[in-house]
Amino acid sequence: MFYYVEVMSDRDYLGEFEHLIVLALLRLDDRAYGVTVRQEIELRTKREVSIGAVYATLDRLEGKGYVNSYRGDPTPQRGGRSKRFFRVTPKGIAAVNRAQHALRRMTAGLDFIRSYS
Amino acid sequence: MSFQTDSLHPPSYALWLINLFACSEDSESLVGDMQEEFSHIASTAGVAPARRWFWRQTLATIPYLFIRGFLGAPLWTATAVVGGFLLMRTVSRLPEMAIFALLAKYRVFENHFSTYVFFSTYGMALGHVVASLFVGFGVAVVAKRREMIATTALALVFCTLIVLSWFVSISWRWPLHDAFTWLLWQCADPVAIVVAGIVMRNRRSRGQILRCT
Repeated sequence: MFYYVEVMSDRDYLGEFEHLIVLALLRLDDRAYGVTVRQEIELRTKREVSIGAVYATLDRLEGKGYVNSYRGDPTPQRGGRSKRFFRVTPKGIAAVNRAQHALRRMTAGLDFIRSYS
Repeated sequence: MSFQTDSLHPPSYALWLINLFACSEDSESLVGDMQEEFSHIASTAGVAPARRWFWRQTLATIPYLFIRGFLGAPLWTATAVVGGFLLMRTVSRLPEMAIFALLAKYRVFENHFSTYVFFSTYGMALGHVVASLFVGFGVAVVAKRREMIATTALALVFCTLIVLSWFVSISWRWPLHDAFTWLLWQCADPVAIVVAGIVMRNRRSRGQILRCT
């Protein structure tokens, strides 16, 4: 009998904020850059997020190969600075799927409203 | 709102602070994002909340820029920091030696005791600050466009050592007032190192964002 074992490295998982960022990128699609990602997370989670934290996480995700980035055109509102757009890679999509499945398995059968509020 | 959002500018000191640490092309996008959001908040909520928002974001973003700047060239920056640390250990003794040599040569202790006290306390402290500035300039030159990253890292190393030795001195029942005075004098050295980094950065940038090469 043979078993297929998927080996995950120590860093091959999504942290909570990384998870939120990847989900924001997926929601925003080709409009995903620093400002829109930050606003999307603030809007949906109701927590203040610093642009530095967003970029730090995006850099980490890019290092893991979960997202990639490309430059847009500079605009006057941005003091002539260009936008850096982000896109989720297939590896990133696989990681977010894994995280979602894990979350669903862990929360299955738990009644949060009745038991833990 | 009737005002033109293009004419609004973020707080200049906050922008200056960010530009000190923003040393990569990616950091440029980050600053652009902050400016864009500033314009948006200023046009919807007013200039004052926008300025407060920009300051909050600036303070929260500097640690990220610092870490990113360091990780951009970790070996080179670490070499500049270690070199600066060793240079500081060598140079910091020179003012003391020079001042005491001069005081002994002109027999200041015997003839002008108050002058002797002044030079052996404030003169020496000032000498240390000058030595720190010299070391800071050296580190900034070696670190090239990462001058703020290297000088701040070196200053943090010295701050850590100072705070540790301050706690040791407190545990030896050194009078608290003396310990605080000592702490303030010691903190002048790391501040001087960072000031040297700022001067070099401003000289090189001339008001523009620099890219780390």
